[in-house]
Amino acid sequence: MTKRMAKWVSWGFLCLVLLVFPRVFGIYYSNVFVAFAIFAVYSLTLNMLLGYTGLLSFGHAMFFGTGAYTTAIALDRISGMPLLPVVLAGFVASVVLALILCPIVVRVGGTAFAMLHLAFGQLMYVLALKLRFLTGGEDGVGGFPIPAFSIPGIISVDMTNPLNFFYFAIAVLGLSTWILWFFTKTPIGSIMIGIRDNPQRVEYMGFRVTHTKAIIYCLAAGFAGITGSIYALFQNLISAEDGYNIMVSFGPIMATIVGGVGSFSGPIFGSAIFSIIEELTSRYTERVELVMGLILIGVILYAPMGFMGVMGLLKQRWLAARKVKLEGAK
Amino acid sequence: MRTGRKILVVFAIFSLLLMLNLPKALAANAKYDAAGLPDMSDFDPSNPIIPTGDTIKIAIVASFSGPAAIVGEIYFISVQWAAHDINKRGGILVDGKRKKIQVIRADTQSKPAVAKKVCERMILKEHVNVLWGTNGSHIMKVINQVAKKYGVIAQCAAALSDELYDARNFTRYSFMTSFQTNQIGRAAAYYYGQIRKKEKKFYILCQDYLFGHSMAEGFKEGLKLYYPQAQLVGEDYHKLFLTDFAPYLTKIKASGAEVVYTGDWIPDAANLLVQARQAGIKLPFANIFLDEPNFLHKVGVEGTKGLLNISQFGAPNPLFKNDLQIKFYKAWNDLWKTKWKAPFNTYLFKHPLGNIGSYMFQTYWLLSVIERAGSLDPEKIIKQWEGDSYEYISGKVMTMRPVDHKAIQDLHAFEYVPPAEQKQSFNIPPYSYFTGCSNTGPISTIPAEKIMPKLDPKLKR
Repeated sequence: MTKRMAKWVSWGFLCLVLLVFPRVFGIYYSNVFVAFAIFAVYSLTLNMLLGYTGLLSFGHAMFFGTGAYTTAIALDRISGMPLLPVVLAGFVASVVLALILCPIVVRVGGTAFAMLHLAFGQLMYVLALKLRFLTGGEDGVGGFPIPAFSIPGIISVDMTNPLNFFYFAIAVLGLSTWILWFFTKTPIGSIMIGIRDNPQRVEYMGFRVTHTKAIIYCLAAGFAGITGSIYALFQNLISAEDGYNIMVSFGPIMATIVGGVGSFSGPIFGSAIFSIIEELTSRYTERVELVMGLILIGVILYAPMGFMGVMGLLKQRWLAARKVKLEGAK
Repeated sequence: MRTGRKILVVFAIFSLLLMLNLPKALAANAKYDAAGLPDMSDFDPSNPIIPTGDTIKIAIVASFSGPAAIVGEIYFISVQWAAHDINKRGGILVDGKRKKIQVIRADTQSKPAVAKKVCERMILKEHVNVLWGTNGSHIMKVINQVAKKYGVIAQCAAALSDELYDARNFTRYSFMTSFQTNQIGRAAAYYYGQIRKKEKKFYILCQDYLFGHSMAEGFKEGLKLYYPQAQLVGEDYHKLFLTDFAPYLTKIKASGAEVVYTGDWIPDAANLLVQARQAGIKLPFANIFLDEPNFLHKVGVEGTKGLLNISQFGAPNPLFKNDLQIKFYKAWNDLWKTKWKAPFNTYLFKHPLGNIGSYMFQTYWLLSVIERAGSLDPEKIIKQWEGDSYEYISGKVMTMRPVDHKAIQDLHAFEYVPPAEQKQSFNIPPYSYFTGCSNTGPISTIPAEKIMPKLDPKLKR
């Protein structure tokens, strides 16, 4: 079997697993999986900034929350809104917010970037609480109608059915993941790594660092908006606490660090680890954050490269051992 | 003579009809069987006897962690008591089988997203029959949505916002057995405008979410209706779980208010009262949750004197009108004195009255409905509960309005007085609710017809 073929077989197998997942594990675990997938893709968008461009954001939740609120408010206020346009609205609203912030934030980096985002994130949180006429204040926006996925004259699928929603969410999030991955493979994807490692050198090479940063920033924001949008549809509710809270910003940072900063799939594994831990520990204790915090401390102390780093290390050792074994056999 | 006889016959027939029909009109469909109260001496909320296997499962969806963790424990002891009582009577016959009641804690952490997840877990993994909730109308909204989605019965025993049952949010799977924000607001206004007729300047301070705003709207509506001479001198909404009330208290002080109307629940209620008294504000608070005795003791007799509590577990004075009521009370209070451990041995749990009493008897009502429905089929429970009425041990009658699933009831205004004056209400030794703080003295009834639950005209059923 060629490498290419093996790759296609793996993808096919993954699709098959996702297809039968709800049938095998039931609605509850399908919902857990959707929640994980939302968080994983959201973490991927943060990793575009943190892992690939070296920009640590303490306010990434503002894009997630904006996408979620846009979708929720659109469905709440405008009757007959179709499904895909409301998801797209979440994307556009977050990109617009990113464009507004771009002139300020792309000119800075490091601590300034992180703290500016902390401030903007908190501003959005307070606005969501105070603009009660629009956001519902502390209650948030909830109970809005969930439109069916429909292509006029061809198909109409009820999205209030958890099974149907599972497939829809996985499709949208899967597509988002592929686009983000594809972006990292484009020339601009290489430039963003350059910006992370040595922005001055990239500048000297003739690339416009601030412009590139702005593009990456808007892209990350837009896809964070999509995850927020799916989250709002999934929960049929969005509140300031779930959309803009500081922990919504810290969550993906933790997942990215635990999974492996810089690696594309690191945040996915980090999110999976946190989702599993949350699912298991929440049955026995309310101190889920404490357990997660301990894991983060452990990772920072003993495996700073995260899960993917450890996997890479193990792979290297295994290859080295195999090489020695093969040489010994000769 | 003939005319006199005719009048006599008419009078006799009228009296007969009255005797036959009036008690029927007043009587509830079912009532709590106080005479059948079993030996409850083995009831311990710290080590509850929870049956397993084929049971009737009730999930208490509430805050069991975070700043409002104690609220979950209040619900738990109330519901578990009712479950324990019924279990010791042998359980409930449903679908041809006698089943016991299993109470499960479901922690929302006061977060809507967690509430949704935990509700789904309760339904899909634990297979609960009833979702019982909760502190926070925004959380109850989530519970109702999940109940509707999966066709499971929800009982709204502690969230009070009318909006939960308006045309937009109504679900036939959920029943609101608690009192409601609009009703409470009108009750407080009725008390000040039609009964007390003294204070005229009011200040509204509520929590900044659906419930707080609904409470305020109800009060403003009530003032227009029952006390047009009253003046609203200020209105504020603070964040949930606020720790520093100083900015609001300064405004209240400057406003010249004579009464502060608040819907705050603990921990906000406790912080508000304690900080107000520390700031030298001695105004009475018209409230529904400023009745938590642990913090009332912190404030002391003078600081709590004059508080006005609108209660959903009230009855006209005196509290004890027969031996069965005393027996029931002592079954609880003796255990509190001798057996229970922290947090259940604190002042908060001393009496099976107030909100604890209400949560407990709302649960008895639920269990009575299930028993009379004879089934755990939600459709049969809905059919049984719509239009049903139930009498609490206090004699209070609750009626479930079929159209919007809201409970119709009299409410009572409790005026807090020093211990020596509490005898008018607490009429058995030691003749006071508490010695370290003021508590219920005079009780005024606000009749149900003056405070009918708000009905959304758009709700078509």
